[in-house]
Amino acid sequence: MRVSIPHMGNLHIALKALLQRLNVDYVLPPLNNRRTLSLGAKYSPEGLCIPFKLTLGNMIEAAERGADTIIMVGGYGTCRLGYYARVQEQVLHDLGYDIEMVPLGVSEKKLFGFLQIIKRLSNNASWFKIISAFRFGMAKLNTLDDIERLVQRMRPVEQVPGTANQLYARAIDAIDNAEDYTGLKKVKLDYSEQLYHINKNTDARPLVVGITGEFYVVLEPFSNLDIEVELGKLGAEVKRTTYISEWTKFSWFLNPFGINEKDRIHRAAMPYLKRDVGGDGWESVGEKVLHAREYDGIVHLAPFTCMPEIIAQNIMPSTHEHIPVLTMLCDEQLAKPGVLTRLEAFVDLLERRRRSENRRAIAQLS
Amino acid sequence: MTRVGIPRALLYYEYYPMWRTFFEELGAEVVISPPTTQTILTAGSSRVVSDTCLPVKIFLGHVLSLVNQCDFIFIPAIRSVKRRVYNCAKFLGLPDMTRAVIPESPPILDIDIDVNRPRRVLYRAIFQLGRHFTWNPVRIRKAAEAAWQAHLNYYELMSRQALMPPQAIELSTDTQELKTGTFNDILTPPQASIALIGHPYILYDDHVNHRLIPRLQKYDINILTPEIVKPEILDENTARLVGSAYWTYEHEVVGAGGYYLNNQVNGIIGIMAFGCGPDSLMMDVVRRQAARLQSTPFMCLTLEEHTAEAGIITRLEAFLDMISRRRRTEKQVCV
Repeated sequence: MRVSIPHMGNLHIALKALLQRLNVDYVLPPLNNRRTLSLGAKYSPEGLCIPFKLTLGNMIEAAERGADTIIMVGGYGTCRLGYYARVQEQVLHDLGYDIEMVPLGVSEKKLFGFLQIIKRLSNNASWFKIISAFRFGMAKLNTLDDIERLVQRMRPVEQVPGTANQLYARAIDAIDNAEDYTGLKKVKLDYSEQLYHINKNTDARPLVVGITGEFYVVLEPFSNLDIEVELGKLGAEVKRTTYISEWTKFSWFLNPFGINEKDRIHRAAMPYLKRDVGGDGWESVGEKVLHAREYDGIVHLAPFTCMPEIIAQNIMPSTHEHIPVLTMLCDEQLAKPGVLTRLEAFVDLLERRRRSENRRAIAQLS
Repeated sequence: MTRVGIPRALLYYEYYPMWRTFFEELGAEVVISPPTTQTILTAGSSRVVSDTCLPVKIFLGHVLSLVNQCDFIFIPAIRSVKRRVYNCAKFLGLPDMTRAVIPESPPILDIDIDVNRPRRVLYRAIFQLGRHFTWNPVRIRKAAEAAWQAHLNYYELMSRQALMPPQAIELSTDTQELKTGTFNDILTPPQASIALIGHPYILYDDHVNHRLIPRLQKYDINILTPEIVKPEILDENTARLVGSAYWTYEHEVVGAGGYYLNNQVNGIIGIMAFGCGPDSLMMDVVRRQAARLQSTPFMCLTLEEHTAEAGIITRLEAFLDMISRRRRTEKQVCV
């Protein structure tokens, strides 16, 4: 049995650590690239969103490398994602790959469901071993996200463009290679130090741009064409609330105790959208309302034909909290120049808006 | 008298007799919007982002045509009508979205229907809906019971007499005689029989599908629709094709598709709107099944705002030609 899992952001690093520690035979598909996307788009039913296409591409590439068991998220909810595993299994069978799909019900079984799947895949390893491996995976995930947050802050203020990104790429490799907790801690300290000591423009006050929208396209840089890096190059600091580590922290550990980080966001969205519409539609509206004062603007990412995000996109302009929102629909037709043009125009708009606000504030003072 | 507006779109075709009975029992007058026209479609699509699906754009057009015609507009948010089977996000966000994009609309009566939550939540929701018209809880209860009965009668009528929703609505709400003839039994097809699968709001909206049904009738074709099959049989077929159901209204596509693929019809036409989330998966399941069985011709028409009539006609004629050629050769083989 050879296990594989589709990519989403840096998730594969944590999973690799988990599977390695349990001595599971695994193979990772190559990182998302043009071939993944064209394979996915070729064999998907038309009208499906980019998460389906990319994960299907990953699966085909994993199958080519000999995988026969694939873990894919599933479960009930109102978004289509819950159904993808079943359709993808059919597509793979029709292509002649004999793949067993292991659906990971994220919405109902929570943490225990995941651990059970891991137990099954690891040939009934002891619970102690599984939990310690899981903890190590989580530690890697947390480290990755901490470093990423720091990189997001450094990108707009660095003096030599690209320094933070280079460090980030090296940090990812180092985290991937870290073999135990001490190694991981050392890597984290080392790279945080280096990132803090990048040459900075000390007087720069970067624009703050929030990124919100559908989970997968926000987290997978290939699907949104590295929008965070591009915003950083344009001198905007990116903030987002969606991180894999945050998600696991709340939905696996804290939600069972009744703590929900999204309550605040949902309450903010209440006047405009009263109910969960599945996916991340409710959160998108809520984040716009909630962060209207802290952010200069919001980039709203959504896959093309995403049902919940279309609802959010329709509701967003009518909120009383005014803040510019740029909705970017991601699919295989999205091209870099188009994204750049729109981002440049958006950042220009935000800068002008900030200048005029400053001028107004000064006029009020004098 | 309070006037309640019901847009003639989306779930109108599934639940209109129920809603009408409920409001009339409570002493309200029910106003429905006129059949879809190009003006309605244009008005609706001018309010929303272009990615919104066609049925929702039409729905908003109908809401716009009801502005100033009524005191309330009834837009329920139907989350689930069966356990662990949820609805498409568009239906859930419908009341909020309407409020956001049509600020001038009359107050919206929204009600959350979710059978996954305790029963009393549902009862309370119905009660709160009724409170807009009367203070008397007994009267609300009676109205709700009458409405449920009307709904059961409506479905019974459709599957027993093989009627399509527009005819059944006409029959169940008015006393007048049925104008058009009923369908023949499936087992004795006098002419080619073609099954149409898709959601009622696309199948029976003559403007959206470019008068598909009258057009097929002109060719003297026996039309079969999802509604004339008993709901239990649809559910059975859905389970056979996709395992446990995932979306509320998918039995109309995948259940009906699975049923007709095994029932000797001459062809199946699937009709869906571009960008429909559930259908994009479900139509594909039916298509794959049809390709696997290789017994029944299957064609899927995807409709959107720009669909030109000529394109539909060309594809339809080619499909019908193919079917008649197939039937001719089959007859020759029999002889």
